[in-house]
Amino acid sequence: MTALVRMRLTAYLRSGRALPGLLGTLVVVSIIYGGGKSDAAEAYGFSAVALFPVIAWQAKLLLDTEPDVQRRLAVSAVGLRREVTAGLLAAGVVGLVTVALAMVLPWLVGGITGPGGIGAGLWAHAAALVGAVGLGALASRPITRSTLYGVAVLVTGSVLAIVLGLDNSVAPWLAPPLMATARHLAGHPDSATIPALTIQAALWAGVVGAIYARLRRTRG
Amino acid sequence: MRLDGVSYRYGRRGPWVLREVDVEIPAGGTVVVLGRNGAGKSTLLQLAAGVLRPSSGAIKERPTPVGWVPERFPADQPFTVVGYLTAMARLHGAVDQNAIEAWVDRLGLASYRGTRLGELSKGTAQKVGLAQALIPKPGLLVLDEPWEGLDAAARELVPGIVAEVVAAGGTVLVSDHRGETGRLPGAVTWTVADGTVAQGEPRQEREIAIIEIAVPADDAEETAAALRADGHDVVAVRTKAEV
Repeated sequence: MTALVRMRLTAYLRSGRALPGLLGTLVVVSIIYGGGKSDAAEAYGFSAVALFPVIAWQAKLLLDTEPDVQRRLAVSAVGLRREVTAGLLAAGVVGLVTVALAMVLPWLVGGITGPGGIGAGLWAHAAALVGAVGLGALASRPITRSTLYGVAVLVTGSVLAIVLGLDNSVAPWLAPPLMATARHLAGHPDSATIPALTIQAALWAGVVGAIYARLRRTRG
Repeated sequence: MRLDGVSYRYGRRGPWVLREVDVEIPAGGTVVVLGRNGAGKSTLLQLAAGVLRPSSGAIKERPTPVGWVPERFPADQPFTVVGYLTAMARLHGAVDQNAIEAWVDRLGLASYRGTRLGELSKGTAQKVGLAQALIPKPGLLVLDEPWEGLDAAARELVPGIVAEVVAAGGTVLVSDHRGETGRLPGAVTWTVADGTVAQGEPRQEREIAIIEIAVPADDAEETAAALRADGHDVVAVRTKAEV
């Protein structure tokens, strides 16, 4: 499975598809930290929300890199379960690099104050990452089969993740806990606890991952 | 290897491509799959290779590793020939550099070692598709129209390659609509039609003849359509310049 993860990451880098995602990350980081110094925890909370669609888009780009027949060749070599898992892992690695960039760059340019908040920031980004990889996978070509539907799933999912997470949302449990995490890191009163948010993020990613695996089994 | 009550359709509402197929492939045997275009030959082969999962039924005792040669090799990938073959060998669990070099030489790919896949001609790319399936020493080799797209020299190699895989205890499944499989001695034929697979007849009893006819280029489409309407399998339509 490591071999397939490596092959997909190589193709993603060599095909130039990594570049748009990297630019997207830099744009988001510039916007968040362009206005001066921020408290680390609060800034990382917003960064995790803003990076959610970027990481989801990168996951879709990575999973779309491989031609359909090559994906089938991979299935014949390693089996469907490992092929699906390797795709999600490769997308996770790309997401991790994005998170690392988004967390380190602000320090380099002096956009963040205080040493505190790094652990909370890591947690917020990890919660966003697992959900974003799930959404990107659902928007990928093996599931949506067309660019139009793929973009529609990606955009709708990203918007809903934010809208459903707003304060007083009617169904906050339907979305990954991006906004709730940002509120928690900003010290918002009455925000959910870290264990509750962690469980929600893990459950959301688990359910979306299961739906993706199920659709991959049934869609050939 | 057995297909037990295997049915398949693309999507939940799609028409059934195969229905309740029960066939057995003898270990170390060669099976030639015949059928009209769109009859389900590729689907059957992909089910056998484990690329597609049956909508119902099961495939049992599939030999490993599986080498699958798709009808069209996906050349739109940012790898060189050797880089790709090495990566594919790694997927199968082991990189045998000697095996990679041996197949590169044998299939005439030596001068394309460092060439990117996207820059290869269709025929050369097809050879890469063949090589990636053979390098892991397949227990099951599935060839989807192997004579399509290969140049004459490579086409001549296919029967020998099939014989070697069988001699090593492997099982081979080949689809063919060009009538080239006459060169696979001892092969049994399956015919895919109307969602079913008929099996058992020795290939010699179902000899296929290819008739080449020449018509004015303007009449080609109409003639091909008329032949199809009469129930014939039109293998190819080409202009004299392409001969």
